[in-house]
Amino acid sequence: MLDALRRVSDRILGRGEASIVVPTLDGVLKPNAALDGAEPVFDARSPRDLASDGAHLYLADGTHLLRLDGAEARPVQDFGRRLTAIAALPDGRFAVALDGTEVRLLDRPDATTPARTWTGGGMTAVNALAPDGAGGLVATDGSSRHGADDWVRDLMEQRRGGRILRLREDGEAEVAADQLGHAFGAAARGDDLLVSESWRHRLLRLSRDGRRQVALPRLPVYPSRLSPAAGGGWWLTAFAARSRLVEFVLREPAFLKRMIAELDPDHWIAPRLRSGESVMEPMQGAHLKTMGVTKPWAPPRAYGMVIRLDAAAQPVGSLQSRADGRIHGVVSAAEHEGHLHVLARGPRQVLRLPLAGLATGDAR
Amino acid sequence: MTDIVLSLEKATKLYSGVAAIEDVDFTLRRGEIHSILGENGAGKSTLTKIMAGVVQLTSGRMVLDGEEAAPDTPHEARELGVAMVFQENSLVPSMTVAQNLFLGQERFYNRKRGVEIAAQQFLQSLNFDVTPTALVEVLGAAQKQMVEIARAVLHKAKVIIFDEPTATLTPEERKYFFNLVRDLKSRGVSIIFITHALEEALELSDRITVLRDGRWIETDDAARFDRARAVRAMVGRDLSETLYGAKKAEARPAGERVLRVENLTLAPIVNNNSFSVFAGQVTGVFGLVGAGRTETFKIVSGALKRDRFHGGEVYLGDAPVWYRVPAPAVKAGISYITEDRKAEGFFETSSIARNIYTGLLAKFPIGRRLLSRREQTQVGDDWTRRLNVRAIGADASVVELSGGNQQKVVIAKSLVQDPKLVIFDEPTRGVDVGAIAEIHALINRLADDGKAVVVISSYLPEILGLSDRVLVCRQGKVVEEFSAHEADEEKVMYAAIH
Repeated sequence: MLDALRRVSDRILGRGEASIVVPTLDGVLKPNAALDGAEPVFDARSPRDLASDGAHLYLADGTHLLRLDGAEARPVQDFGRRLTAIAALPDGRFAVALDGTEVRLLDRPDATTPARTWTGGGMTAVNALAPDGAGGLVATDGSSRHGADDWVRDLMEQRRGGRILRLREDGEAEVAADQLGHAFGAAARGDDLLVSESWRHRLLRLSRDGRRQVALPRLPVYPSRLSPAAGGGWWLTAFAARSRLVEFVLREPAFLKRMIAELDPDHWIAPRLRSGESVMEPMQGAHLKTMGVTKPWAPPRAYGMVIRLDAAAQPVGSLQSRADGRIHGVVSAAEHEGHLHVLARGPRQVLRLPLAGLATGDAR
Repeated sequence: MTDIVLSLEKATKLYSGVAAIEDVDFTLRRGEIHSILGENGAGKSTLTKIMAGVVQLTSGRMVLDGEEAAPDTPHEARELGVAMVFQENSLVPSMTVAQNLFLGQERFYNRKRGVEIAAQQFLQSLNFDVTPTALVEVLGAAQKQMVEIARAVLHKAKVIIFDEPTATLTPEERKYFFNLVRDLKSRGVSIIFITHALEEALELSDRITVLRDGRWIETDDAARFDRARAVRAMVGRDLSETLYGAKKAEARPAGERVLRVENLTLAPIVNNNSFSVFAGQVTGVFGLVGAGRTETFKIVSGALKRDRFHGGEVYLGDAPVWYRVPAPAVKAGISYITEDRKAEGFFETSSIARNIYTGLLAKFPIGRRLLSRREQTQVGDDWTRRLNVRAIGADASVVELSGGNQQKVVIAKSLVQDPKLVIFDEPTRGVDVGAIAEIHALINRLADDGKAVVVISSYLPEILGLSDRVLVCRQGKVVEEFSAHEADEEKVMYAAIH
């Protein structure tokens, strides 16, 4: 009863759960421009995901799987359908997700005939693939309603249709967890899985028996994929930073409804992978710019971040591109040949930074 | 007509038998800007208060325009042409700016509108952006200072004494002030300028007099002084290396997060402010006057209330807190050391010991039924010694102390509570160089001991010299954070004004 009263009073006063607050970017997440100083490696057309098998670095670009040798990209194969996720497995096999609705397991990246295919389980927006640590494969399905490209609509409609799928040897896709706020990225942590839940701005720890535990709550960003880091821990990418304006809009159903119905999605008050290309966009004026130059500390519509997590999944450092930067929409990171390779969908670029100095938390 | 407008000969002033100044000779030329430098307790304020009629000489004499003068009151001194702008403002808060300006100059019949128009014209002529109809109590510190200055100028004084006039002014306002002082000089007004900002004294003055321990040390043309010579004369040793120090070479690592502020709002001053404070570090908070720094930390410490609706969140550790008064904040381990020590920092007619003991009493959850005079004396003596408060004893009234020693009492009053988060708001405003070094050493010691320390300051060298991380505020929120090695004057200033 008291809880119910408190909830009502919080809603009226804008306190507690009803307060519109965004966690601060400080401490190990202190803003920096490290990503803007990264070396561009490759300009892609429609990049989606990166993966390294130790010997080579692979890039999913549109319908093509490319192998990156420095700045040179060699086509591995054309799947004829959009790749939405790729993963290099420890046993040398390779997995790809096509259009977010189908996952194929290949013996080699260039194998034209899949060793296994999963299409069941209602796959809609498969956006990341990862080994589960026990020889199996898991997929994160962002939404049960909207495709992988329509993630903004999924956020604005505040859907909780994200799922974790265990892709079994028998070709079945078993739902390991559902009702997630846009699952986007997973990694094995011992017998458990670490899962990004973008719309709830947190990492979950998911055990084999289905128990969920919040591993890292209240992130100031929208987390995405996870990849293992040498020396333990992970790299967690974030494709946008939270802003109070978006949080506010998400609590205004009438405004949201009209905005979705009447406006071009490019002009919605919503996080984006890139911004500043049109004066019609929201958040392009007022105190955000001086003499046409965006202030680094302006509330960001697009942002780029890679967070270094330690073995306990706690952040120890970060690489960022702020509101005045351009390496926004970071969705994937992979260590390869002494560098951290980063895929930024904002500028459609693969970039790299030397790992020395990054791995111990010095990134901040 | 002689070149000397005012002089003091063998001036001595004793308080309870202790000399505040002793055998001081001082001359002020017509139309000169004369800075008086010295540590707190050096006798600067006493010397100028004698000229302004606030206190009277015990022995010696004052000569004004060739005639011996001994004003008994500030009013009498003003009649003689000597006006003083005091360090802590002496305006009437419940009156408007216009009323304060013309206070004491009222006619038999005063037309409110006429007074306001005259005030408006006068303030505009000084380039001071202050609304004449505004109540003084709603003005910020800088604007109050402007009214003080304007009032002295209005009295058409031939000698104007400024005691720390620029401490609360923004760089822009300071520029105006300097121009104003030069303008007054060109009109033949003599200016006495007391400041702790040595650069200002060196830039603005024609001559400089240095006092130490109540005695005259030297007087010379400002052009022949440099910073090192001035500091050496003031403290009797070379402190220029340690004062403010250079930019911090090494920052302390952040400990656990002690304070988290998210989207704090107190319209229109604090807007959506978010930041954290960590243990074992000095977090410097820089911003121009009106950036909402003081108000933010007053909310954190319960001295102000945030907006009732969507006022944001404050977490002490991991627990959300919402203090409506300071008492629970003190009990939870938050100490806020005010920028306005005279109005908010101490009970000026009470003794040092009593003031410090009051701070201790605030720490007890349900107060104390019986107060112990013995404990009060013990606590007072202990903290007077620890912070090197220079006074006759812990029984001395705080009002008798110099600005720096008063500040130490205010700090002691907070530290006696053993807080985990200490917020210093302008800790060295109106404090002499010797005490500045001592207060800075104390701040560093607190951070070394693992406490979370916040230093709010408008003086950039102080921020850069002390802080392990620098938060820059603008328009009511933290807009940028720098680590000690990233921060420099240019970057911090850019963030503060853009």
